[in-house]
Amino acid sequence: MTCQDAREGFIDIPKEESSRGVSEVLRHLESCAECRLYFSALQDVLQAVTPPHRIAASSQFRERVMKRIVEEDSRQTARARSYWGRTKWITAGCAAALLLFLIPVLHIGGKGTSSPAATLFAQSEDAMSKVQSVDITGRIRTLPGDNFELIGANYDFVPIEIWRDYSTPPRWRVEKPGRVVVMDGKSATMYISATNQVVSGPPKAGFIEWLRPLLDPQSILQNELADKSALSAQVTESNGVTTAAIHRKAQGDFTHDWARNKNIQGSDHTCTYRFDSVSKRLEGLQVNITVDGREITVAEFTGIRYNETLPPTLFSLQLPKNVIAYVAPADMKPAAVTLDGPRDAAAYFFDSIAHERWDDLLAVMPVSSVPDSFKKRYGGLQVLSLGEPFQSGLYRGFFVPYQIRLPNGSTKTHNLAVRNDNPAHRWMFDGGF
Amino acid sequence: MVAETTLRIVSWPQTIMEFDRLIEATQDELVHFASYRLGNREDAEDVVQDVYVQAFRDREKRRDITNVRPYLFRMTGNRCTDLLRARSSHPSLQTSGEEAMEVAGGDDPFDSLAAAQRIAGLRSLLDRIPAREAEVIRLRAWSELTFREVAIAVKSSVPTVKSRFRYGVDRLRKLLSLQGGPIQ
Repeated sequence: MTCQDAREGFIDIPKEESSRGVSEVLRHLESCAECRLYFSALQDVLQAVTPPHRIAASSQFRERVMKRIVEEDSRQTARARSYWGRTKWITAGCAAALLLFLIPVLHIGGKGTSSPAATLFAQSEDAMSKVQSVDITGRIRTLPGDNFELIGANYDFVPIEIWRDYSTPPRWRVEKPGRVVVMDGKSATMYISATNQVVSGPPKAGFIEWLRPLLDPQSILQNELADKSALSAQVTESNGVTTAAIHRKAQGDFTHDWARNKNIQGSDHTCTYRFDSVSKRLEGLQVNITVDGREITVAEFTGIRYNETLPPTLFSLQLPKNVIAYVAPADMKPAAVTLDGPRDAAAYFFDSIAHERWDDLLAVMPVSSVPDSFKKRYGGLQVLSLGEPFQSGLYRGFFVPYQIRLPNGSTKTHNLAVRNDNPAHRWMFDGGF
Repeated sequence: MVAETTLRIVSWPQTIMEFDRLIEATQDELVHFASYRLGNREDAEDVVQDVYVQAFRDREKRRDITNVRPYLFRMTGNRCTDLLRARSSHPSLQTSGEEAMEVAGGDDPFDSLAAAQRIAGLRSLLDRIPAREAEVIRLRAWSELTFREVAIAVKSSVPTVKSRFRYGVDRLRKLLSLQGGPIQ
């Protein structure tokens, strides 16, 4: 290798884009003092123009961008709907137009399906039978990383996406920032990034709760109409879009209203489905809840794409090696004392954390180990008060009011969720911390 | 997050969640690049945010692109150039010394000042060589793109960007030598 060749090759160091060339250059450097000096000078130049610090994006940046992208998605979907709505209206022809004109509003009693609307829904199911895959994008007022069921009228929107592959066996994936569930045909696996925690279960494990109907869009309306809890359903047609609005009252006992409006079932709500009047396919869903007489949109799914090719990698999860696994209640280590009810369970939970007895904590916390971030943040906390347990909504466990002082000096007042409705009847922490 | 999010983004994302993963994987290096280009992180984040939204808006027509990273750098570089041009014609948009300190970071004011001076020095040094050579050096030295990626980012060929890099480094060597820097 000549000096000229070597100097041209210097710039590949240290990227090693061509390892063979780089090794030859390095060999040349060992034997040529002049080139060593030149190479050193080149490194000095690069050092002089290389920034002294790495600048990272601020902590809220990703969330801010995602919010704008979700807004952009909503705008695009609205534009597309407007355009296609007009186009399909024209191509559907006069007969369909006349028919739709004649039945602009169809009212259905919540308990009956023998109305013209039932025919419409049957057509919809038929149209959906040829679907091979669905990709649904939307947004929900919830907390990133928290369970899929949680909603809150005051929360910001968080993006969510659902993929369903109608292969045999069927597979699906549901994801929002901080939490993902994948069903690979045999089992469902949920990964929570904030706590590096993984939970596995059967395909119908309750990881996605109320979102499950969206995995079977062809059955949504039939299921909705068969559901006795629907107060009423109203079907209208306009501009090539058939809209079905189903109203329900909040379900559960709200003598104590803590759980009210914290999930869809626990809220007075309206699900409004949009179907393309020609193809009969589901085009969108909006969920509004009523809070203090005000209607608030808490979920909307505006982008529904059919028969896209979904890569197989969507339906598998590559989990970190040090992941923290869920432990079934029957396999949790025994508690050091007898726990006689929800208050005992909550007291044991807090006492273990206060005294940093992490092994004891595993007797009421169904995980293989306590995350270091948890230990660092909560270890040594002080319990200021523990109230009387209560139940609310449809939740089968108990809420225990508490006030604690965290190691950083701040205080927190909340309700700890504990339950023992598992086959082993073991009391376990279930949320609210 | 799941390990797959840290994998190299090899195709243009099409869904909101794919964009979330793209942002997670690339936000720091794009903000880093734009921060040094513009002299402050606030403007850099605005620019990079616009880039991601544009990338989302154009996802259909960019579906066949197989190496996303250099395209994001190209879009970021172009927007930085636009903003710098706007600044030069509107003095009110100039970066203040305080903002430059923000880029420098650090809690010790002396360190921040020293770092700010160094940042200003390296930016002005690169401004003194031809723009096309400076951009290749920035992409290579600031963002550690491979020459293949740099070539995509500046819409050129690998041999051309290597030439620009060599010429640019030679010019910088002479400039530093004139300034009495470490280069002999």
